[in-house]
Amino acid sequence: MNIQNFPVLAVMLLFLSAFLVEIFGSKIAAIRNFITIVAVTVSAALIFALIPAVLIKGEVISYWMGNWEPVAGYAIGIGYEVDALSLFFALLVVCTFWLSAVYSISYMKDDHHLGHYYTLFLMLSGSVLGLVLTGDIFNMFVMIEIMTFASVALTAFRNGTEGALEGAFKYLVIGSIGSSLNLAGIALLYAECHTLNMAQLSAILSGGLSPTTVMAFALIVAGFGVKSYMVPFHTPAADSYAVAPTAASMVFSGMVNKAGVYGMIRMVYIVFRAMDASALQMLLVIFGTLTMFVGVTMALAQHEFKRLLAYHSISQIGYVIMAVGLGSTLGLTGGLFHAMNHTLFKGLLFLTAGAVLKQAGTTNLDALGGLSKRMPRTTLYFLAGAAAISGIPPFNGFASKWIIYQAAYTKAVESGNFLYVIVTVAGLIVSVMTLASFIKVTQAVFFGQLREEHAHVQEPPFLMRLPMFLMALLCSAAGLFYPLVNRYLLHPAVDATVNVTNYIDKMMGDGYAAAAGVTNIPVQEVQFSFWDPLLWLVLFVVVFVAAAVVIMAGKGSRGRVLEEGAVADPKYATFFSGEQELYSQVGGSDLFWGFKKNWKAYYRVMDKLHSGIVTDYTNMAVIAVGVIVIVMFIFLI
Amino acid sequence: MMIVNYIASFVLIALGLYTVCTKKNLIKIVLGMGLIDYGVNLLIVSFGFNEGGTAPIYQLSDLLNGVASGYFVDPVPQALTLTSIVIGACVEAMALSLVIMIYRKYRSVNADEVRRLRG
Repeated sequence: MNIQNFPVLAVMLLFLSAFLVEIFGSKIAAIRNFITIVAVTVSAALIFALIPAVLIKGEVISYWMGNWEPVAGYAIGIGYEVDALSLFFALLVVCTFWLSAVYSISYMKDDHHLGHYYTLFLMLSGSVLGLVLTGDIFNMFVMIEIMTFASVALTAFRNGTEGALEGAFKYLVIGSIGSSLNLAGIALLYAECHTLNMAQLSAILSGGLSPTTVMAFALIVAGFGVKSYMVPFHTPAADSYAVAPTAASMVFSGMVNKAGVYGMIRMVYIVFRAMDASALQMLLVIFGTLTMFVGVTMALAQHEFKRLLAYHSISQIGYVIMAVGLGSTLGLTGGLFHAMNHTLFKGLLFLTAGAVLKQAGTTNLDALGGLSKRMPRTTLYFLAGAAAISGIPPFNGFASKWIIYQAAYTKAVESGNFLYVIVTVAGLIVSVMTLASFIKVTQAVFFGQLREEHAHVQEPPFLMRLPMFLMALLCSAAGLFYPLVNRYLLHPAVDATVNVTNYIDKMMGDGYAAAAGVTNIPVQEVQFSFWDPLLWLVLFVVVFVAAAVVIMAGKGSRGRVLEEGAVADPKYATFFSGEQELYSQVGGSDLFWGFKKNWKAYYRVMDKLHSGIVTDYTNMAVIAVGVIVIVMFIFLI
Repeated sequence: MMIVNYIASFVLIALGLYTVCTKKNLIKIVLGMGLIDYGVNLLIVSFGFNEGGTAPIYQLSDLLNGVASGYFVDPVPQALTLTSIVIGACVEAMALSLVIMIYRKYRSVNADEVRRLRG
């Protein structure tokens, strides 16, 4: 078989099985599960088969639909093109969807109309995979639209749950504004360049930007900003991740917003080649920093497990956008690494939340507690994910956050701009707040006293534990073997992002890039200075001892069924001082009420902004689009 | 005159954004999303149009040898518009069906009352 056909086959297979599931599998669960698992497994195998050629040998794989190759220097047909950047994201896509499909089998089995669920699920997977593999900008738009539809429908899938319909509607309104912006940008780009092929666009636009293309650029950046849910476009993300079935939430948070990030990287680095402009760097860095800060502070105020994770997801995307916006190789490496890590640990955390929801029947932090006794493995997986997202070594979150801080600080030193110092500090503070927030969740859900109604909660079934175990394994592996990840995944992807000659030549014929004046600058593999094994070992021992002490100390009270009338008000339970309560549970979800009280003014503003009224959200979005367009017009022409 | 089309399309987009931002009725919000779509579609077909152009049915050799004279209308934007119209219709249908279900559950289509998810 010819390796060129693999990307298209992988995408088509997923779309085809979406229809097959609907036709043959709407009644019988076995057929449905079989088709889904086979589809995601085979497409994953096809994508993995591209690794030797693309990541190791550094080739670019291209495929012209219907063999419509470029004529007289113009690309008319639709082309698929896989370089290392595309493949990097495609690998994440297939892994996420495979794990989510396996998890869905057990997790969704009590729901009705599952034929529709798997149809939408496979459509979503096909569209996200198509989005990262395509070489045609209009094809990308179509994939974005399919992705939005499928996500909206999946959000509303359990339409009996509180807020599912509302979340879906908000998602659709904000999402379709983003898609329209993208389409308008693509139209302007076509009017100026007369091509839709991204390789050719890159060659043409490397000559500089005209007012029309700047407008197109601004619209497209705003459009992908909506798709990656950066602040202030983040509001529907929080709603939809919280109300969707958890297997779908995991995919939304793991891959759908990452598709927006991919689009952003593809556009700013490869198609428009404008990352040298300091105004654009500053724009992305400011939006990224805002995103991570607003995300984490909103997360601290949440009382619902999945909604809290959704806000953390927004916050981590902020790190990625900030790192990518730095415009340096180091920043790009950190950004891609963090994107990958976020897919792993946030997927893991959502899956544990799903296990809690499935087994205990609620994700309300005030109504849970002490589950570590009943679900020890789930607790372990959750702790791995929480440590990873908070940036605790040896997990992967530490490595990528460290590179991001390094990149931001290097940028501050190089450019002498004080903004980047603030950004570095903000990154550290956000990381600390993330840790704080996950201490709260751990305390509220897994430790503390077990509630009477949860005294008989069981571990989730094997098919739900397996994806969690694999993700926890990947989280630690990516942190421990960072040099290998860097050499075989990140470095090729960064190289492909910065040097686009191969990308252009493969599509348009040899010498096309050189004729357009695009040249390569060799990229050094990023050296990692932080990874001293001895220090790590010491740290590991310290952490292990500390964990053991905490566990031993809590052994007496952990898992004990809550006594009658113990907790009246969690706020006083936390800080009881000589009050009548001698023994009571620490109110997990209110652990940081002192912090919230000190920041009352800030939270009052945030409450007003997150009002739940869809027009308020659209207003924020439109204002942000206006800001992006104006800034780009002033600084890029 | 193409300039009229461009102005009309930007007016449509602006009106759509205005509707989405200010109207509280969910059905009007859906119509506003539609207006944005129509504006963009008009923009795309206008880009492809050449006044006095013919249908784009030629062999490549005709073009290269200069047998075909004058210009023709660019067919690509028309294909794009068709795709985009189909997608737009689906968005409308899906949004309206969500509004119906929201009405059944909340007994209201006022955005101020459909706000159980917040904070």
